[in-house]
Amino acid sequence: MPAHTAHLFSIATGSSEPIYRQLVEQVRRLAAAGQLQPGDEMPSVREIAQALALNPMTVSKAYGLLEMDGVLARRRGLGMVVAERTAPAPALERAALLRPALERAALEARQLELDPDTVLTLFATILKEKP
Amino acid sequence: MSSPLVQLSSVSKHFGSQRVLDGLDWQVAPGQVIGLLGRNGAGKSTLLECMLGLRELDGGRVALFGEASGALSEQARARIGYVPQKPDLFDWLTPDQMLDYFKAMYPRWNTAKVEGLLSRWGFDALMRGKQIRKMSGGEQQRLAIVRALAHDPDLLVLDEPVSALDPVGRREFLRELVDDVIERGTTVVFSTHILSDLERVAFDLAFLRDGKIALQGQTDALIEGARRVLVPATMLPDRKLEGEVRRVREGAMVSLIVQEQGGAVARLAAEPGVRIEKLSLEDLFIEVTR
Repeated sequence: MPAHTAHLFSIATGSSEPIYRQLVEQVRRLAAAGQLQPGDEMPSVREIAQALALNPMTVSKAYGLLEMDGVLARRRGLGMVVAERTAPAPALERAALLRPALERAALEARQLELDPDTVLTLFATILKEKP
Repeated sequence: MSSPLVQLSSVSKHFGSQRVLDGLDWQVAPGQVIGLLGRNGAGKSTLLECMLGLRELDGGRVALFGEASGALSEQARARIGYVPQKPDLFDWLTPDQMLDYFKAMYPRWNTAKVEGLLSRWGFDALMRGKQIRKMSGGEQQRLAIVRALAHDPDLLVLDEPVSALDPVGRREFLRELVDDVIERGTTVVFSTHILSDLERVAFDLAFLRDGKIALQGQTDALIEGARRVLVPATMLPDRKLEGEVRRVREGAMVSLIVQEQGGAVARLAAEPGVRIEKLSLEDLFIEVTR
């Protein structure tokens, strides 16, 4: 399996996106585009921290999130590897995860006396916006 | 959480009629790498000097490693590394003479580290035999950093340590911090105006304003939580919103700076005519220290 180096990453300071977020998004994109293949070895926290002059805790935080999201997996003796791609859960199951947030939004919409059409239009607009 | 390594309680310091520190409370936990931010003249150097017991306080208390900072034991003193804003390097000596002098004072002097740093940072035999006062500002600053790191301190206090270094020198210094100092779990308090450096290495940030720590938090969370909300003045309640940092009236609009937006901000955001912008660390610095 190929092992990647810290050159995989490039970070920008002075952005409104914190550095750990930039690392997370870069790994996600590379994995989605197939440049990172399941089983590929990721550079160590220390290697990235050293190469990019970053606090190792920032790198650990990014790796921790990616592991939690199933993008990376911790392999004994190897460190982090790119996770096997699991089939995504059925859409309905995933949508259920959204329900609590939507319930809160619905509550606030009622408090603001907004009609459903206005709220749904707003949600449709937000869905199309880039985060 | 373990007990703080540095604890300042109600610290006050004035110069003549000018109040520089005004009942300041601050704690630094072991292993924290914390950036201290503030405008020129906000009192960052004074704060660091008071913290280290180098200045007498006009009020309050400072404890380092659980000891009063005015009466530190030799053992506690030997655990501190300090790079002052203006190097005080005994500049009539050569680097080798200066380092030999300090080596005798510290039981934990790490000769291998000193040699490694000197060779990586371009101190060849010629330069090591040159009088310090004849060296450039950048060279003197590097030497001050070598001296502060030489005894593997548990607490490293850096007051504008890279102001005289070029970008390459700064990056080399950050790598050294990351690879050796932070890896060892050293507690670091770091004041600088170079925000990009802080973003890279400071996991936490503290803003000094009006003689107090006005805002403190994890660097990531501060950047992620910061928003500028532009809202028509008529829509805004008089009371402070949750997480509000600053509020400025601009004609019919009000510019709000908020941290960790609560429900009130989310409700405002849903209103027509309200604009929300994300902020960079630089924007946040300007807003918080204004």
